[in-house]
Amino acid sequence: MALEFYEIICIGMFAAFILLLFTGYPVAWVLGGVSVATAFLAATVFDAQLSDGFYSISSQQLGVIVQRMWAIMTNWVLVALPMFVFMGLMLDRSGIAASLMENFVRLFGRVPGGYALTVTLIGILLAASTGIIGASVVLLALLGMPVMMRNQYNPAFASGVVCATGALGIIIPPSIMLVLMADRTPGVDAGSLFMGALIPGVLLGVLYLAYEVVVATASRRTAPVPAEARAMAFGDVVGVLRAVLPPAALIVAVLGSIFAGVATPTEAAGIGALGATLLALANRRLSSQVVREVCEQTTKTTAFIFAIFLGATAFSFVFQSLGGEDFIEHGLKSLPFSDDGILISILLIIFVLGFFLDWIEITLIVLPFVSLVVPELAVGPADPAVRMVWFVVLVAVCLQTSFLTPPVGFALFYLKGVAPAGVAVTDIYKGVVPFILLQLFALALVYVFPGIATWLPEIAYGP
Amino acid sequence: MSSDVQDPDRRAVSATEPDDLNQVVHHANLPETRFSRAVDGAIKRFGSLISWFWIALVAVICLNVFMKNVLGIGSVQLEEIQWHIFSALFLLGLAYTMAYDDHVRVDVLHERFSLRSKAWVDLVGTIVFLLPFLGVVLWFAVPFVVKAWADGERSSSPAGLGQYWIIKSMLVLGPALLVVAALARMHRCLALLRGAPAPAADPVAEG
Repeated sequence: MALEFYEIICIGMFAAFILLLFTGYPVAWVLGGVSVATAFLAATVFDAQLSDGFYSISSQQLGVIVQRMWAIMTNWVLVALPMFVFMGLMLDRSGIAASLMENFVRLFGRVPGGYALTVTLIGILLAASTGIIGASVVLLALLGMPVMMRNQYNPAFASGVVCATGALGIIIPPSIMLVLMADRTPGVDAGSLFMGALIPGVLLGVLYLAYEVVVATASRRTAPVPAEARAMAFGDVVGVLRAVLPPAALIVAVLGSIFAGVATPTEAAGIGALGATLLALANRRLSSQVVREVCEQTTKTTAFIFAIFLGATAFSFVFQSLGGEDFIEHGLKSLPFSDDGILISILLIIFVLGFFLDWIEITLIVLPFVSLVVPELAVGPADPAVRMVWFVVLVAVCLQTSFLTPPVGFALFYLKGVAPAGVAVTDIYKGVVPFILLQLFALALVYVFPGIATWLPEIAYGP
Repeated sequence: MSSDVQDPDRRAVSATEPDDLNQVVHHANLPETRFSRAVDGAIKRFGSLISWFWIALVAVICLNVFMKNVLGIGSVQLEEIQWHIFSALFLLGLAYTMAYDDHVRVDVLHERFSLRSKAWVDLVGTIVFLLPFLGVVLWFAVPFVVKAWADGERSSSPAGLGQYWIIKSMLVLGPALLVVAALARMHRCLALLRGAPAPAADPVAEG
């Protein structure tokens, strides 16, 4: 099968992007630069070859990039993103995690793997930290790793728990990744994605908990029960409830108001940011320095995500103009598979890309193109809108693996930075393997039983 | 819990400041120059200052929710102010983030490069990728702003905000500021490649 000229350019553009990423130059500017360079080549050197076909680009058309940047600026839903970032950073600094840790540890003193369960439960509760993965992993590592190491936990096991749990925040709503995914997928709104991802996200957390209990029970040496631990008392339950209540109330308020249709994600995020600030105030952690640092970090996080957004906008525009959409659509449809096979291939591609790209690039560049074929596939829920939500949730679960897969796993990277002495890099790599398998198992569950993802949005919006 | 995190090597990151990842992320330790110090210093102060506007954004959203749900008064202007603040901050924040070298990189090979190689990557990358990209954006953004100003463009909603050229001009200001930050970065790379010693562990120390 001979490739058409536009197809060669599309492949070349994508390959150049991937290869140049490995120079370590910032992703956002590689995207922008490759788009400009490709457009320039297509408009000058290759203009003759391209003009035989259907696709071309002229330098004047690049003005569309500015139009699309303006569309990003005026998109009210995206305002939710910095607000969720603010809320998450503030929650991380509110001292809630430390008080949860103290209380859960007392409660689970005699339970095998008690510290691992504690870390995972905190991770699920603070998933409202909305997936600033670096911050979540560092927080859980600093709280959990020293205690687990002191109690002779297996370093690989402890590392796996921290990495996998720290990445949960990006899928359990509210999540900045879901806000961006909704923006990039036609016909899907952030509210229904939040609802779609809630049960799969919590399911992942429950799978981790179950795994930890099984391992700790089966092998006492992996996660020994501390000798000095005492059995749980009634007071411990009260302490845990008291520690859990404030963050739980905040999550219920934010998610509840979105699910009930009372608030838009933007409004809920703003209220959540205020709520997290009030929690920090109640814990006496609020100072002008904390507020300043949270604000500055919000600027940086928002800027580096939107830098990639701007670069990806340019990339997508040039790629589209050169026929990239048709190329991917034809390519996927011409696979010698059934519709199920095509969908599984898409997920497999995303899984593989997750080894060296992270969620921001995959969401902004890959998702919009591959989601084009989904409406035409006879897989999963019959209703096209519901199927789209299911598909995006599948992608979201699949992306969980991208945090744990070396060489470019965000969670691994941050744990490496703060892991205490006695934890080797190989421990970290070994430790995450069971959790990657659990994630793939959860992915299979959501694939085979779409109801896990679609049940909640369908109740809310009707079938 | 503080007793658990008193590892002396790791003091810079603590459980109370989990988002201060500067100690975890290894930045290229490039020498500073007089020009880069002036530019980066100004951009960092400016970025720190505008970051306080996130508080204003929280306040505007909460006020809007309160007015809409409690007082029953919807305000298009309050809603539009929200994306005005958001988009101005992320565009102006691009240069701020660059001054701290916090833009996302694929680190897997990069972290093993020598300092000189890292300087080459940044120097060539900026010339080949970043500056042409910003050039294209600025080339089209300037007339885009001028047109908005000349037409007196305003919100399509009658109750919305006017003077859209102000917010549109962020599409020029943000990238322009980023060009300045990129020049400072390039100057630091050049200084290293020309033989200026890399600063010691303390980045403030004079090279």
